[in-house]
Amino acid sequence: MRIKAKAKDGVVSVKAGLKHEMLSYDIAKKKGKDANFIVFIEAKVDGKPVYEASTSQFLSKNPFIKFKFKGESGKELEISWIDLKGETKSKKAKIK
Amino acid sequence: MQRRKFLGLGLGVAAISLAPVTAMAKNYRKEMPKVWSIKNKDVENDLSGINEAIKAVFGSDKVEDGNVKLKAPDIAENGAVVPVSFKLEKASKVALFQSANPESLVAVWDIPEGGIPDYGVRIKMAKTGTVVVVADVDGKLYKASKVVKVTAGGCGG
Repeated sequence: MRIKAKAKDGVVSVKAGLKHEMLSYDIAKKKGKDANFIVFIEAKVDGKPVYEASTSQFLSKNPFIKFKFKGESGKELEISWIDLKGETKSKKAKIK
Repeated sequence: MQRRKFLGLGLGVAAISLAPVTAMAKNYRKEMPKVWSIKNKDVENDLSGINEAIKAVFGSDKVEDGNVKLKAPDIAENGAVVPVSFKLEKASKVALFQSANPESLVAVWDIPEGGIPDYGVRIKMAKTGTVVVVADVDGKLYKASKVVKVTAGGCGG
């Protein structure tokens, strides 16, 4: 996961590249694999959620997301996701 | 490492999810499992799958145009990666739909306190279709739509 978070005038802009195959049901069937894709993404600062997305098989492979929230530089942003199989991943980044 | 961190919490909610996500966060895959299966009809220009999903997600299909700015390409050369973004001043909930894939719902966002609904994602579109974003602003629903022409389908081709 790659995260870029920058604060300006009290607004934090985040660009994050998540790493996931995002195998939709159709493609998984063709490949003889189980479908698996990220179903929930959450970002937190100081333990409080600043972004929440429930997602489907229709997000592109290695999902790229952009979002904004009210915040300031120096704080730590944590982005986590969980996929259909229940696997999770999480990464922290400092807001510049 | 996450499992260890999680077990350390010692909360009763432990049994429900093995993820480092906030207990309060609404995971729509768990809360509304059926909305993700609402189908699009394989008929050109048919938006009924989208309308059904809007009703399921928001509890109503009374939606006005306006208030939301939606950005998506006129022509997507690669249907596997179609950049879509939307922006509005405030909302409690926003959802993205399309008519190009077997099912219509793409994603649902709850806007937390301090969140700013200025978001972007990249989506798959199997063929030319309409992308629709719907936002709940103080109980009223607003939408914006855009037809995206897809020259190379993105769901497996």
